[in-house]
Amino acid sequence: MADQKDSKNDFQHYFGKEHDLVRKSVRELVQKEILPNIDEWEEKATFPKKLYKMAGELGLLGVGYPEELGGTPGDIFLKIVVGEELMRSTSGGLVAGLGSIDIAIPPIIRKGTEEQKERFVRPVIAGDRIAALGITEPGGGSDVANLKTTAVKKGDHYLVNGSKTFITSGVRADQITCAVRTGSENAHGISLLVIESGTPGYSTSPPMKKTGWWASDTAELYFDNLKVPVSNLIGEENQGFYYIMENFQSERLQLCIMANMTARIALEQAMKYATEREAFGKPLSGFQVTRHKLAEMATQVEVSQEFTYRVAAKMNAGINQIKEISMAKNFACQVSDRVTFDAVQIFGGAGYVRESVVERLYRDNRILSIGGGTTEIMKEIISKLM
Amino acid sequence: MRVYVCVKHVPDTAANIKVVGGSGFDESVKFIVNPYDEYAIGEASQLVKKEGGEVVIVTLGKASAMTTVRAALAIGGDRGILIKTDKQFVESDETALILKKAIEDDGGADMIFAGKQAADSEGMQTCYRLAANLGMPVATEVVGFSYAGGKVVVEREIGGGEREVIEMTAPCVVGATKGLNEVRYPKLPDIMKAKKKPVNEIDAGSLKVDAAGLVELVALEQVPERSNAKMLEGSVTEAVDTLVKLLRDEAKVLE
Repeated sequence: MADQKDSKNDFQHYFGKEHDLVRKSVRELVQKEILPNIDEWEEKATFPKKLYKMAGELGLLGVGYPEELGGTPGDIFLKIVVGEELMRSTSGGLVAGLGSIDIAIPPIIRKGTEEQKERFVRPVIAGDRIAALGITEPGGGSDVANLKTTAVKKGDHYLVNGSKTFITSGVRADQITCAVRTGSENAHGISLLVIESGTPGYSTSPPMKKTGWWASDTAELYFDNLKVPVSNLIGEENQGFYYIMENFQSERLQLCIMANMTARIALEQAMKYATEREAFGKPLSGFQVTRHKLAEMATQVEVSQEFTYRVAAKMNAGINQIKEISMAKNFACQVSDRVTFDAVQIFGGAGYVRESVVERLYRDNRILSIGGGTTEIMKEIISKLM
Repeated sequence: MRVYVCVKHVPDTAANIKVVGGSGFDESVKFIVNPYDEYAIGEASQLVKKEGGEVVIVTLGKASAMTTVRAALAIGGDRGILIKTDKQFVESDETALILKKAIEDDGGADMIFAGKQAADSEGMQTCYRLAANLGMPVATEVVGFSYAGGKVVVEREIGGGEREVIEMTAPCVVGATKGLNEVRYPKLPDIMKAKKKPVNEIDAGSLKVDAAGLVELVALEQVPERSNAKMLEGSVTEAVDTLVKLLRDEAKVLE
C-alpha cells in the first residue's frame, strides 16, 4: 500500500502519492485522447487500434505485471486507480476492450513457460498484440466444466474444433487464451491453449450487436480443424479449469470497479443536471424528492465503493476473498442497476436519448451482473462458503 | 553535464486555501509540483538526454515536500535534494541563497532550470537572485531553448506576440514558462521507479546561510468575494448613460 502517508489522511491509506500520480497520468490520456472522440467511437462500435499502443507506451496495460515482461509491478490499488480513471471515458465497452488483456494473460504469466511469456505476454503489455479470453460457448457460459470445444492431441499439435461466443476483443484479438476439452467430460478434462488468430481454420463473426459496450468488438469464434502446437499449452494438461478459477477473483474486482464507477459517474451527472434543469419555476434540486433520491444514490455508491476497497485491501494482503469479492460484485452491480436507473429518471426524456452520458451508462451497466460470473453464480459461491 | 532543476512544492492551483493564524494557511490541501517547474524538468531531461549527464531536482520546503521531489523525479531527473525548513514562507532572497549553497555543495551546476515563477507566492524573483548570487546570466519567460557547445540560445515572450532571442554562456539560469515544451505526464513505470531514486535530505539550517531578511510576510488575506455583476440593458447610448450614472453615483469614481 501507500509508502508515503500524509499524517492527516492516515485513515485513508488505500491510495498514496504514486497512486495519485498514476491517476493523473491516466486521466490525462482519457481527457486528451479518449473523451473528445468517445461518442463517435461508440456510434461506430469500435475504437482505434492505436489506443492499445498508446496505453502500452504509457505503461497502463502492464500494471500489476512483472517488470521483466515490460510490466509495472504495483499493489492492487494501482490497478484500481487505472480502472477507475479509464471508466472516466464513460464507455464501459472501451474499458472492456482495452482490459481484455487482464483476463487473457494472467494464466500465461502464472503457468506459462518463458518462451510463452515472450511470445504471448510481452507484446500484449506493449500494446502490439491484442489478447482475449475464450471460455463461454454457444452451448453454455456459467457451466464452464461442461464446455464442448475439443482439442485432440496429434503428435506435436492439438486438433481443435468448436466455437466460443461473447468474446470481448474477439474480432481483433491476435491470440485467445482458450479453454478446450482435452480429457474427461468434467472439470478435470479442461486445458488452456493459446490460439493465434492467424491459424488456418480460425474465423470470427462480425462484431456482435449488443445492448451496451458498443465500443467493444465482441465476437463469436469458430475453430475448424485448427492445428495448435502442443507448445501453446499453458501449464499442465487437464488443469485448465483450476487456472480459470484462479483468474476470477481479479476479474470480479475489476467488475466491481466498473460497476462502482458506472454508478458514481451516473450520480455525478444526475447531480449536475438536477441543478441546471428547471421545472415548475425552480431547479430539480429544489425539490425534496430529487434531493432525497440523490442522497440515497450517493449513500449507495459510497458504501459499495468502500466495501470494494476493503475487500481489495484484504486481497492485496493475500487473504482469500472468494466469498467477499462475490458479495462485493453482487452489491456493486445492484447499486449500479439502481443508480443508473434513477439517474435516467432524473434526466427524464433527456436521459433516454444518446446525447446524455447516463443513457450509455444505463445500457453499459446491464452486462456487469452477467459477465465474469452472473449474480446467480456469485450467490452459489457465497452460499457454499457461508 | 550536471543540470539542476529548482522545483517548488506548492498548493494545488485548484485548492481552496484557508488562511490560519493571520499569515499562514491550512496545509492539509493537496500539494503539487509548481506547474512552471514541470516545463523546466522537461527541458532539463531533454538536454541531458542529448548531452549526457544527470538531472538533479532541488527543492526547499517542509519535510512534506518529499512528495513533490518524488513527483518531479517521476517526470524526469536522476536524483533529488530536499532542503528542509520549518518555515511556511521563505522569501526569495533567502531561497536563492539556500539554493546556491546547496547546488555548490553538491558539486556545482553546468546548467540550472527553474519555473519562471511559483504558482503560490508569484514573486518571480528566485531565478534572478539565484543567477546573481552565482554570477551567471539569466533569462526567464523562456519558451524556446537550445544548447550547443556551451552556448545557450533562448527565446522569450516579451508581450504582444513578440519573441526576443538571447544568447547566453553556460552555465546560466533559465526560467521556463508554458510553451517551452509539451508537458507529458509521466509513464507509469517512471512513477514507480521514482520512489527508488536517491534523495539527499539536508536541513536548511546546516547550510548556514545568512539572509538579510529583506522581506517579511505580514498577513495573508482571503480574496474578497466578487460582488454581483450588473448587466446594462437598452441601446448603446442608454447603456453608456446608465454606466456613467452608476460610476458617478454608486461607485463614486467620477466627479
